[in-house]
Amino acid sequence: MRGVTETLRSRLWQAHTAEWWRTMANVSHDADPVERVVELHLPSRLGYEKVAMDAAASVARRMGFSADRVDALRTALAEAVTNAIEHGNAHNADTRVLVILTVRPSELVVSVADQGFKPIDKAQIAPAPSIEDSFSRADKGGWGIWLIRELMDEVEFTTAPTGGNQVRMVIHLEKQS
Amino acid sequence: MLDDDLSVHIREREGVAIIDLIGDVTTFAEEKITGAYNEVSRRGARNILLNFRQNDYIKSAGIAILIGVVTEVNRRNQRLAVSGLSQHFQKIFRMVGLAQYIDIYQDEDEAIRGLTAAMT
Repeated sequence: MRGVTETLRSRLWQAHTAEWWRTMANVSHDADPVERVVELHLPSRLGYEKVAMDAAASVARRMGFSADRVDALRTALAEAVTNAIEHGNAHNADTRVLVILTVRPSELVVSVADQGFKPIDKAQIAPAPSIEDSFSRADKGGWGIWLIRELMDEVEFTTAPTGGNQVRMVIHLEKQS
Repeated sequence: MLDDDLSVHIREREGVAIIDLIGDVTTFAEEKITGAYNEVSRRGARNILLNFRQNDYIKSAGIAILIGVVTEVNRRNQRLAVSGLSQHFQKIFRMVGLAQYIDIYQDEDEAIRGLTAAMT
C-alpha cells in the first residue's frame, strides 16, 4: 500500500513539474522572434548559481557590457538564484530553477523562476536594510533582495502562473558606469 | 566545483592577526570565518586583517557573516581591516555601510602599513 501511495505521489509530482515547465516555457517564448534567448534549468542545490552567473556574464560580455556591470549582474543573479533554491524551492532536489536570459539590442533581461514551495517574503522586498540595525539583530541577513535592486536597472517580483516566484531583472547597455 | 570553496588560514605579521580567506564567501563560510575570528581574539588580537584572495564571489550571506564579525569587533574595541577585495566588492562594502566600520586596503602590505601606523 505504501509503495502504491509513493508511486502515486511521485506521478502527481511529475505531472505537476511537467505542467510547470510547459507554463514557464510559454511565458518565456512569448518574446519577439528577433530576440535571442538562453534558458538554464538548474538543480535546486547551492553552488549551481555559479553556472548561471558564468553563463550570464558570458552573454553580457559578448553584448559589450563593461567589467563592473558584468560583476553587478553576476552578484544580482547569484542572489536571485540562491533565493529560488533556498526559499522558493526549499532545497527540494526534485525541483529546478529556471533562468532565462533574453538578449535585446539595448538591454539584457534576466528572469529567475522557482516552483513556489514558499512565496517570497514581501516584507523583504521593500525596505532598505540598515547596518546599524543589523548590529543589534541576531539575524544579520536580509541584504540579498536589496542588493538586486541596487545593482540592476529594473527589478520586478511577480508570481508565476503556476504559483512560483519570478524575479525579472533588466540591465541596460547605455547605463555603463 | 560546486561545494564549499573557502579556505581560511590564520597567521600574524607585525602584530596584526591576518585571516586569509581564499575562495568564495557564501552561506557555508560562517563557521570558518567566525571560528578564525574567535581564535585570533582568544589569542589577544587587537588589530585584525581579513585578507581576501581569489574571491570570485561574496554573497549576501557572506556580508551578514562580516556584519557579525564587525559587531564583535566593535564590542571588543578591536580594529578590523580588509585587503584584496575587487573593486566590485569594495563598492558593495561601501553600499552596505561596512566601509564605515572596516578600513579597506588594496593589498596586504598597504594594510599592514596602515594598521601598524595606527598602533603607534
